[in-house]
Amino acid sequence: MRRLIPIAATLFSLAVVFPIFYTISASFFPYTDFTAIPARLLPSVPTLDNYARAFRESNLLVFLSNSLYSALAGTVLRMTISILGAYAFTFFTFRGKNLLFVLIVATMLLPPDALILENYTTIRSLRLTDTYLGIISTTLLAPTHLFMLRQYFKTVSQEYREAAIIEGCSDSRFLTTLLIPISKAVIITLAIHSFSTIFNDYLWPLLVTNREMMRTVQVGLTMLGFSENLDYGPQFAAITVLMTPILITFIALHNPIQDSVSTRFTGR
Amino acid sequence: MKSAYPKQIKPYLLIAPALLLAVLFSYRPFILTLINSLHTVSLAGKRLSFIGLENYTRLFVNPSFLASLSNTLRFTLFFVPTNVVICLAAALLSNRPGRLATLNQIFFFLPMAVGLSSSMMIIKMMFNPSIGIINQLLGFDIQWFNNRHAAMTLLVIAGVGLDIGLDFLLLSAALRNVPSDLLEVAKIEGASGVQTFRYLQAPLIGSTLLFVVVTNIKDAMLISSPVMILTEGGPFRSTQTLVYQMYLEGFKSGNYAIGSAIATVVFLLTFTVLLLLLRLERRRVYYQ
Amino acid sequence: MKRTVLLLALCLMAVANLFALGQRETQSSDVVTITWWHPNSGIAGKATDTLIERFNATIGKDEGIVVTGVYQGKANDVLTKTKAIMQSATTTDLPDLVQLDGAAVLDVRDDKSLITIEHLANEDGYDLSQIIEAARLSVTYRERMIAMPFNSSTILLYYNKSAFDEVGISEPPKTLDDLTQAAVKLKQTDARGKVTRYGFANVPTTYELMCWLGQQNGLSFITDEENGHTGIPTRVLFDDNGTMVNFLNKWKTLYATGALENLTSDLNGAFASGRVAMIVASTSNLTTIEQMVGSRFALGVAPFPMVDERATGGVNVGGGALWALDNKSGHEKETWQFIKFLASAESQLYWHIETGYFPIHRDTYTLEAFVQHLSENPRAGVAIEQLLSSNPRLQGIWVPSAYQIYYAFQSGILKMLEEGRSAEETSRALAREIDGYLADFLRMQQ
Repeated sequence: MRRLIPIAATLFSLAVVFPIFYTISASFFPYTDFTAIPARLLPSVPTLDNYARAFRESNLLVFLSNSLYSALAGTVLRMTISILGAYAFTFFTFRGKNLLFVLIVATMLLPPDALILENYTTIRSLRLTDTYLGIISTTLLAPTHLFMLRQYFKTVSQEYREAAIIEGCSDSRFLTTLLIPISKAVIITLAIHSFSTIFNDYLWPLLVTNREMMRTVQVGLTMLGFSENLDYGPQFAAITVLMTPILITFIALHNPIQDSVSTRFTGR
Repeated sequence: MKSAYPKQIKPYLLIAPALLLAVLFSYRPFILTLINSLHTVSLAGKRLSFIGLENYTRLFVNPSFLASLSNTLRFTLFFVPTNVVICLAAALLSNRPGRLATLNQIFFFLPMAVGLSSSMMIIKMMFNPSIGIINQLLGFDIQWFNNRHAAMTLLVIAGVGLDIGLDFLLLSAALRNVPSDLLEVAKIEGASGVQTFRYLQAPLIGSTLLFVVVTNIKDAMLISSPVMILTEGGPFRSTQTLVYQMYLEGFKSGNYAIGSAIATVVFLLTFTVLLLLLRLERRRVYYQ
Repeated sequence: MKRTVLLLALCLMAVANLFALGQRETQSSDVVTITWWHPNSGIAGKATDTLIERFNATIGKDEGIVVTGVYQGKANDVLTKTKAIMQSATTTDLPDLVQLDGAAVLDVRDDKSLITIEHLANEDGYDLSQIIEAARLSVTYRERMIAMPFNSSTILLYYNKSAFDEVGISEPPKTLDDLTQAAVKLKQTDARGKVTRYGFANVPTTYELMCWLGQQNGLSFITDEENGHTGIPTRVLFDDNGTMVNFLNKWKTLYATGALENLTSDLNGAFASGRVAMIVASTSNLTTIEQMVGSRFALGVAPFPMVDERATGGVNVGGGALWALDNKSGHEKETWQFIKFLASAESQLYWHIETGYFPIHRDTYTLEAFVQHLSENPRAGVAIEQLLSSNPRLQGIWVPSAYQIYYAFQSGILKMLEEGRSAEETSRALAREIDGYLADFLRMQQ
């Protein structure tokens, strides 16, 4: 029985990874391979034509740069807001502290997807449609991140900070030279998570961007128009281009990734 | 000596951005949505007249809404256990030492590298009934997009594809945190695999398991993008979900009032479910 | 201190960039740029690009006009985006020209940003009767032409000629009764009784119902206000005038033979692969289907089947039209130049040959190249003949909540088939549901 486990695991994992393999393979298929009988798993005559067409006949690069830029900007802003907020809630005492904390964290209960109607109206009246700020504005507050950062900051003792202040260290110096380096692991983990959440967002960027040049890659990918004519090659090529850097990163960094999950979730 | 005044302001300044965002993009829209749902609203978004709960009474006899409600609940019911079982099985099967196991693990969380749109487009193409690889390879004749049951199944498959990466990672990490000495003891005592899981591992990964279940339920109730890309609610509204209908009414048909009413229903449902589950956590989860 | 200043400067730059509106085409002062949003991809997309190039190289060059085409997704995606801007404060972001389909009419028709074709034509002294009547009426509201038909199509019956020959059917079906008989003969099952080829596959869409209901008794309206062309519809008429019951009964008979498959998507694929012997689809799909079928079997096209012998109304013009919008740039004359170009006899000829949409300009039909094209491609002629012999007053319905109405029809008819409900009951239920949507819309009017 025990010996079946590795076999089962391997078969199972191969099934899970099959779509990824097929996508990469199919990106090299000539048009006729898709309707071949029996079905093909590997290209008959590999062709780079699909890639050429994906770039030539669409604005894939523009979409990609829009996504990268908004994800990067969004992550930086998000982390800044969360770090500053967590810092305040951990090391200061002020009136209404607990109430305000609950207020901020309680937004976790209000799913942003259900608020899109009103948020869209807000963005429209702020004249922020078709801008990067419009795309990232609704995700700039990450209550879970703020919560986790505060949890982590609390493990740093208050005396440590008081000592630093007595030594003449200002808050900003304490933050930048001491606290953040200590919390590097958590911050990097949260930053990566932020980046991928913003990068993968579909519904909100779809609503907020009307002009083609502002589209993010998630929205742009579904609008290439190839798959409607059953012309799958270029579509698979576009997906492969998007997917490959992240795939490689994940495979290369699989150890840190698996470890980062542990540090986040042992005992809530 | 620094005066007390700047010191008092500082924390408020630090939390101001977070607070502003919370109000602007969470609380204010929430309240406005509630208010809108109690009025008639014009095509341009202006509130016209107060009608109390009339939007809700009309909603609950609207066949389209009832379909959304039923579909969303059914989807949650199918998806959550399926996903949890699959991810847990994957985590357990690959929870062993060795290079092959590491390879298994990498394969299991690799779907996380594929974004939402990409995953959905891949599924859309692979499951095309005429020229998609799935039907051709496995010899099926299933009308994935035309048959109501097949379409719902497809949606569940899509959901699992989206969540398996992260959920596997979480469960796998939780399993790794089970102290190996306890596992040794179990082995020496002659416990079978099933017993080991039931009495030793399950309670210890309980909090993570609960987290996975809770987030799965929340994601299932709110599902919209896969519906938009894969099935557009079809066939015959059989995959139309609550948030998708909210999008249709609010953005495509301009019925803001009805859209807001649906949004409110979504809030209430998710909120209730989350509360119930948090209650459960207090009673049943074992912390080391 | 220096570091903080540097940091601050970087932040300011970044913030400024966040407000960036993406890449803007630089406008030189002596060239007018016209933006055209459209849902044309694939073959139609290539034809669109060619037409734009042609204009830019000829009239555009002479008059200093450059047209930019933007593919905005499917027809209702284009509408969602256009609507979003129309309702916002920044209507300067509107395109000069947008191609929308029938479902979009109610959203655009009464908007203050719309510039009607009637207005543009009158300013220019252009004779609108050059546009063929059926197409012209399809975009007429209260006697004024509010858009320019562009990608106009009707519905055709596509059938597998090889399969027809196989089972000995010599003529394509003319009425639904004929269709039912043919479907039965064409159905094939394997040894285990599973159906390997269906005679016909379809679940009626709003567009098809407009024809099947509207063609009865020479001309029949589905809603009041002449299907929404004289005012906002308040209720449906198909229940009262019995056209729905008549149609549903025929449909039930068809389904009872077991030769009908309830497919709602990928109909072209199912037909091209031989799984289904007959489908109804837009004339604009002709080139795509021809390509997909390839040499697998002989393709035939025939006029859209009538409900019964008394349904002589024919078909109505569907597809989309070009709408001119006011984005406060003052470029309406240049936009009109481009519209005239697209609607011209030669452009329409090219557009027709490439895509299968039929020409809307009456002079195309007398062009030598067109006549020759028809003689070489008799299939293209079927759609045209069908349209020209139809009642031009048979028009599409302009109703709100198009999506919901489409689903209502589909779900209602499916329910009838699967639960064995009566045609009368189904017709009543559909009328009730759709009247509800119409009433909702009226309540939202200020």
